[in-house]
Amino acid sequence: MVALGLVVVYRSTGHINFAHGELFMIGSFLAYSFITQFHMVYAAALLLAVVLTFLLGAATDRFVYRRLARSHDTTLVLATVGLSFLLKGISRFFWGGRGEYLTIPPIVDPAPVFVFGIPVLAQQLIVLAAAILIMLACLLFFRMTLAGKMMQAVAENPLAAYLAGIRVEQVRTWTWGAGAAVAGAAGVLIAPLSLLTPDMGFSLLIKAFAATVLGGLGSVAGAIVGGFCVGLIESLAGGYVSSSLQDVSAFIIIMIVLIIRPSGLFSAYRLRRA
Amino acid sequence: MPALETRAVSIAYGGVVALDRVDLAVAEGAIHGIIGPNGAGKTTLLNVITGISRPDSGDILLNGRSIVGLKANLIAASGIRRTFQTSLLCKGMTVLENVMAGMHVKLRAGTLAAAFGLRAVWRDEQDAAEAAHAALAYVGADALADRDGGQLSFGQQRVVEIARALVCEPSVLLLDEPAVGLSPDRVAHLDALLRRIRDERGVTIVMIEHVIRLVVNVCDRITVMNFGRPIAEGTADEVTRNAEVVEAYLGSALHAVDSHA
Amino acid sequence: MNASARLIAVCFVLAALLPLVANRYTMFVGNAMLVQIILAVGLNLLVGHAGLLAFVNGALFGVGAYAAALLRDSLHWPYWLALPAAGLVAMVIGVAVALPALRLYGLYLALATVAFAQFALWAFMHWDAVTGGPSGLKVPPIDFSPLPVSPGLGQYYLSLLVALAICWLTHNMLRSRIGRAFVAIRESETAAEAMAIDVTRTKTLAYALAALYAGIAGGLFAPLLGLVVPESYDLFQVVFQFAMVVVGGLGSLLGSVLGAALMVWLQEGLRAFKDLQEIAFGGLILLTVLFLPGGVAGLLRTRLGWREALHRPVRTR
Repeated sequence: MVALGLVVVYRSTGHINFAHGELFMIGSFLAYSFITQFHMVYAAALLLAVVLTFLLGAATDRFVYRRLARSHDTTLVLATVGLSFLLKGISRFFWGGRGEYLTIPPIVDPAPVFVFGIPVLAQQLIVLAAAILIMLACLLFFRMTLAGKMMQAVAENPLAAYLAGIRVEQVRTWTWGAGAAVAGAAGVLIAPLSLLTPDMGFSLLIKAFAATVLGGLGSVAGAIVGGFCVGLIESLAGGYVSSSLQDVSAFIIIMIVLIIRPSGLFSAYRLRRA
Repeated sequence: MPALETRAVSIAYGGVVALDRVDLAVAEGAIHGIIGPNGAGKTTLLNVITGISRPDSGDILLNGRSIVGLKANLIAASGIRRTFQTSLLCKGMTVLENVMAGMHVKLRAGTLAAAFGLRAVWRDEQDAAEAAHAALAYVGADALADRDGGQLSFGQQRVVEIARALVCEPSVLLLDEPAVGLSPDRVAHLDALLRRIRDERGVTIVMIEHVIRLVVNVCDRITVMNFGRPIAEGTADEVTRNAEVVEAYLGSALHAVDSHA
Repeated sequence: MNASARLIAVCFVLAALLPLVANRYTMFVGNAMLVQIILAVGLNLLVGHAGLLAFVNGALFGVGAYAAALLRDSLHWPYWLALPAAGLVAMVIGVAVALPALRLYGLYLALATVAFAQFALWAFMHWDAVTGGPSGLKVPPIDFSPLPVSPGLGQYYLSLLVALAICWLTHNMLRSRIGRAFVAIRESETAAEAMAIDVTRTKTLAYALAALYAGIAGGLFAPLLGLVVPESYDLFQVVFQFAMVVVGGLGSLLGSVLGAALMVWLQEGLRAFKDLQEIAFGGLILLTVLFLPGGVAGLLRTRLGWREALHRPVRTR
């Protein structure tokens, strides 16, 4: 899902936001705060966290991306890398230091449910269902609705879109926001299942990269497929080869794919040369 | 022997045929123009000749030697230099340094020699700077030598690019729309410059251009392209009277030429 | 010498005089600055001059540190041999990584090199037999006998000499066809090739130099810290390194020097607050990129006209 958000942003801007992982992390932490400190209902927390991450993504577009739209690729990457660490540091400042891992009390009864004889936590099923729902929604959104098509138009050819009357800047801001919101939602969904730390953003980011690179950087469907593949490969590697390999399999995937077939499985964009 | 020759060069991009068995022969020391509507494949032809793209079939010969399939920098080193439609001068370097960069391949001091400041590198720098100044003076831009490459007007950029292409004394010069955006007196200056390059240095020039008046005045032969194929070739006279050419491309442009004559 | 070079020279003179007035802690900080200068110069060549956004330096820094430590420890090489060897090891690995990276551009390159950096970190952590795993390796201080200097003082001047040499060599290299070739590649590879510049070879050279400098810096850093641990070479280190060159000024030798000094100073000031450090360096990169794209050196260039020439001055005949 995080990969999906990444792809959404990439399609509309041609750039990747390195701080994307941090959006995921912030989503989680926001949910934590809302639930434990403000005692909100889970669904409300989800909604609010998503809205806030949306705003954060939109803000990134307005203040960062717009100013840099015409610079070198490298400038933008540097900016978002800086942003990612900034967000990470701020989160660490607010929510605790290195050693602490925060947890959210489970939302649903933690007793495992048995699916095909494999014990699965109810929460995991909820996450899976929600993730599938959101992903389907995104696919439909891009293919069917006017807004989705506008976003695609802006991505493919900003000048033509502009001439067609689409307000490119605004659409872009919304797209960044949407991508961010998806990441934030992912964060909230995962939160009850895992330990929260400010560093979690980065490892998710790498996995999201691996998923998008595998699926092809321009393709929404590719991101989804890629996401499943990465998850699968990681588990297999962890189970069959060695547990320490699990952490690094995402990186290896990225390196291999970029070397052998940079356009991924569902290539929508080709590499451009300066 | 023609200085530059293409034989049945073809290239297609994902089903779209960009060049369709193009035969071109440019005589040594000639100024050869290539004209045609947008999308006719003119820049693609230049890209294929200079090695940026590899043709699907056909051969390209420079002074009789086949250069097809060679890497772009090797082709450039063999004596073909080019300019681009959008000026690709480097910001962050002065104009002089930009032109000196054109001499890269002729300088002989290696990395270690440069690092230790050996005499060889001082000699190289001297030679390169002198050649660069000379090239800039030749095109009339020596006064710009110390300006940053990003601070030139469009017309100045085009002229400096030609200096950069000339500094290494190529045998063939490929120009992609050198006159675009130039005012009439700059076009006249370019006209005179091209003739001088041909007459004084014996450089063969191939020029893509849309400014018909310039092409008609300065080119010895003209090839007209459309849909990736040459549809006519000959002297300016022959080509401008060719009915097919007039229909495909010249039409109003010819009228413009007539009214300015 | 132009103004930039003169300022660099002044900095080195000041650095040479520092031990006369400084205590051990200040010398440690100064030494760290010198080491980071070496690394920053290399990184700036790669990212600033040649425009290749590669995040490999953190890993190569680590490679240099581990290599130097291992050569002294296991193979009992004397330090004066281990240090350049560590640089060469880093250079070899850097070039090996560069070869596939040559085909990647812009953000693909950034992604791939970030992945490599994390892979290297994982290797440092898990290759227990060689790298000592998460606890790392202990590095004894350098013995400077027969010279009558204490390890602290000796290391300081060694770093100073190496940094000075690196700056001088790089200064020379930039003022020749190599400097121009780097900038040409950064601005437009197509145009560079049309000028007969061998883009592949030039890019490889950029990677090799950055790697070599990073390796040497690593080799000097290890005895300074006294140990080599994987966490020193993680992504935070990479952000720190980028902060140095971005704030100092991409594409400028003076920028590397100033940026390194500033960032090390800032890091020492914020030593107690790890989370503030992340905010500081991340934020600095972001702010500099948004509001002062040329960094400090860029400011000097636009306000005071301090250019760093890419050619040597010519005698007019």
